[in-house]
Amino acid sequence: MSDFKEKIYAELQEVIDNDDIVITDEMPLIGDGSVLDSMKVVSLCIALEDVAADLGFEFDWTSNAAMSRSRSMFRSVGALVEEFTKQMKAQQ
Amino acid sequence: MIIVTGGSRGLGRSICERLLSKGQEVLALARSVEDVPYAALACDVSDYAQVKAVAKHLRQNNMKVSGVVNAAGIAAMNLAVTTPPDTTARVVQVNLLGTIYCCQVFAPLMMRQKGGCFINFSTIAVALGLKGEAVYAASKAGVEGFSRAFAREMADFNIRVNCIAPGPIDTALLRGITSDQIGKIVSQQILPWQFGPDAVSDVVELLLDDRSGSLSGQVFGIGGA
Repeated sequence: MSDFKEKIYAELQEVIDNDDIVITDEMPLIGDGSVLDSMKVVSLCIALEDVAADLGFEFDWTSNAAMSRSRSMFRSVGALVEEFTKQMKAQQ
Repeated sequence: MIIVTGGSRGLGRSICERLLSKGQEVLALARSVEDVPYAALACDVSDYAQVKAVAKHLRQNNMKVSGVVNAAGIAAMNLAVTTPPDTTARVVQVNLLGTIYCCQVFAPLMMRQKGGCFINFSTIAVALGLKGEAVYAASKAGVEGFSRAFAREMADFNIRVNCIAPGPIDTALLRGITSDQIGKIVSQQILPWQFGPDAVSDVVELLLDDRSGSLSGQVFGIGGA
């Protein structure tokens, strides 16, 4: 697992605040089956802004694409990691 | 730091001057900041990208925001049926969308530090249903509705959201309105006289203060309605 993916998982674990829940790439962050309420998703995004800043780029989670329900980066943990990676590569 | 939108003139300027006189750190946002004698950045709040750019600047420079006063606004005193569509769009764009954009974009800065305060601006015309202010009142009624819901969303982060609803305050916004017209509006207030910008700054100061820690999701009418 890459360093930044580990960081994303760590931030997510902290926001979930329940060690019994095992995080997987398929885990949804919004909608049915999500273990996060909407405010926790926001808290996660704010934490990821800081992770991105440490890695030297700006993580944008407020764009139309980010918030679109069908293609949202929050549809799963894997999608979030993918979007985070995409934004990082685009800015480096 | 307190961000004051529309901080170059009118009510916004008066609020900036008051906060600065009380030792607060203030950052004014306005479309034109050339003659502003305190910290200011050029920003049209109705342009989401410009608001985002300000937030990015603040984040990159580790500037802590403890309050946002959304004082930017434009008026349109006209019958609804004679208000040109471009004017209607502009009023909604600046008054409603500008306020929403600033709340959306600046909220994460305060959510990170688990505390802060938004003060949005409505108008007494919402409560009084004033003739000739339908479009303006509609944009501000939107601000009130947004603020009440936003206050609930922000509560978990210890961020308070309130509205101030002034009557006809003596600023440039009233240009073109006769004293007779102002008198008619003021006579419908609970306190039936015209207030100055200081009355608004008093309430801004009060709402920014920690002693207002129990107040959120409220609309405070200057003069009462």
